[in-house]
Amino acid sequence: MLWYKAFLDTRGRFLIGLALLPCAAIVMVLTYPRVAALLPTVSGIDTSGTLGQQIGEAIALARDYRGFVWSQWFRQTPTSTGALFAALLGTGGLAASASNGTLFMLSLPATRMRLMAVRAGSGLAQWLALALVSSLAIPVSSPAIGESYPLVAALVHGVCLFAGGAMIYSLALLLSTVFGDLWRPWLITLAIAMPVAFAEQVAQASSAIGLSPVMSGEQFFRTGHLPWAGLAFAFVTSAALLYLAALNFERRDF
Amino acid sequence: MADRLAIETVDLHKSYGGVEALRGLNLDVPAGTIFGFLGQNGAGKTTAIKILLGMARPTGGSARVFGLDAAAQPSSVAIRARTGFVSEDKDLLGHLSVDQTIRFTSTFFPRWRRDQEQHFRSGFALPADRKVKDLSRGMRGKLALLLALCRGADLLVLDEPTSGLDPAAAEEVLHALVAAVGAGETTAFFSSHQIAEVDQIADRIAIVDRGRVAVSGGLDDLRASYRRIQIVFDDVAPEPAFRSRGLIRVVRNHRVLSVVVSGGAEDLIDEARSLRPVAIDSEPLTLKEVFLETVAKGE
Repeated sequence: MLWYKAFLDTRGRFLIGLALLPCAAIVMVLTYPRVAALLPTVSGIDTSGTLGQQIGEAIALARDYRGFVWSQWFRQTPTSTGALFAALLGTGGLAASASNGTLFMLSLPATRMRLMAVRAGSGLAQWLALALVSSLAIPVSSPAIGESYPLVAALVHGVCLFAGGAMIYSLALLLSTVFGDLWRPWLITLAIAMPVAFAEQVAQASSAIGLSPVMSGEQFFRTGHLPWAGLAFAFVTSAALLYLAALNFERRDF
Repeated sequence: MADRLAIETVDLHKSYGGVEALRGLNLDVPAGTIFGFLGQNGAGKTTAIKILLGMARPTGGSARVFGLDAAAQPSSVAIRARTGFVSEDKDLLGHLSVDQTIRFTSTFFPRWRRDQEQHFRSGFALPADRKVKDLSRGMRGKLALLLALCRGADLLVLDEPTSGLDPAAAEEVLHALVAAVGAGETTAFFSSHQIAEVDQIADRIAIVDRGRVAVSGGLDDLRASYRRIQIVFDDVAPEPAFRSRGLIRVVRNHRVLSVVVSGGAEDLIDEARSLRPVAIDSEPLTLKEVFLETVAKGE
């Protein structure tokens, strides 16, 4: 029942994400024929600067369906909808203001550690579902435009999306044990995560470790190898942030 | 048996930043009593309650419930397993329905009283499918009380249980509380601003003033010991110089000396007789007057 209650806490945000993210993925898939038709007409782009190189790479990637999907969906998620929803699922919860039922929950015979563990587990499960469903929407919808996308690749990218997003989720949850409202943890998390991911993308660092490399599954896309180091980094970082959240929740007065 | 005192605090301190909410609170709540916890806003009542339930940690002293240390994590869980709680704001989970809230809460308490649940569900006319956030404040108060009473708890800790309720609903809640305590071994510890309510149902009280207990004891004993003595003279009343113990306040008003004592009324009357008054009248104070005298003395 504690798990069910934790699920209900973020059910609205989860269901919105479950409707929006797969839809956005499907819309992206459906735009591919139009993009593919335009590609032969694109020529004479100056690729000398950083921005030019980015555009040039995007055009090069879009010549191949799998490259198009990666550059338009998985590569974008760390700075777009993926980050938004991971942060949104992590905000609020037990440490929020008393009008949210905090004192009632704390009056139950359960340790704060258990309450926090269930809250974190439930939110991460919801984020995993969003990451996998939105990723799997791509192979499912690809036949509609006469393309195919490997199911295994979608699953691997879904796991990478989950792992990277888990860091964002955990940061939001940690901030939710500091602030009593919904919006500050969310905004601060995005104010940290989005610039970091954007900077990593612009810098085009070859490292497999970082928010953007993990969340986009870049190593898997380019080499076909699972990004073990990146995944381990993400899970360790998430675990550390969740542990800090639990410690902060444990020591707080209400 | 440690449980003979349901609650015991010794020199309990709590500071929030530089603000002292509790400044050496000493409290003994015997098991099986209805204990009224009175005080002005900001006197430290809610802070004390939060410490008893492990929601806040003391900065000094000790708080024990059923003989268990309220500040230690494992014993705090054990305390909450035996305690029903209603917060001042009737703070519940707004997104759950009444039914879901009751089912959710019952899973934590093996001694959940299904019979009581049915009794209060129908008695309070709670709409099972309505979301808690859509309930009126009165309904939310009744639901909070149901959740506290049905836990099969040995101790009920109620922070302003009737605040925001209309008089009829407040009466209903008080009756439920008295019935619950009367039916078993439960102890009720409740804070209130409604002195008439405390007067109506409490066996014992403590008045807390600026983080300390100013007055504590059985209600009947307090009524017997707190008295107002009117001493009337045939001319202007003399400057008083009473030495009796328990003297709280003396007001001189032309021919009348009005004296409030917290004990030793007989001694003071003997003293007053030596001033040759024309009349001496002694009457007990109401609880409200005791409260006001105590708080006024503190100020």
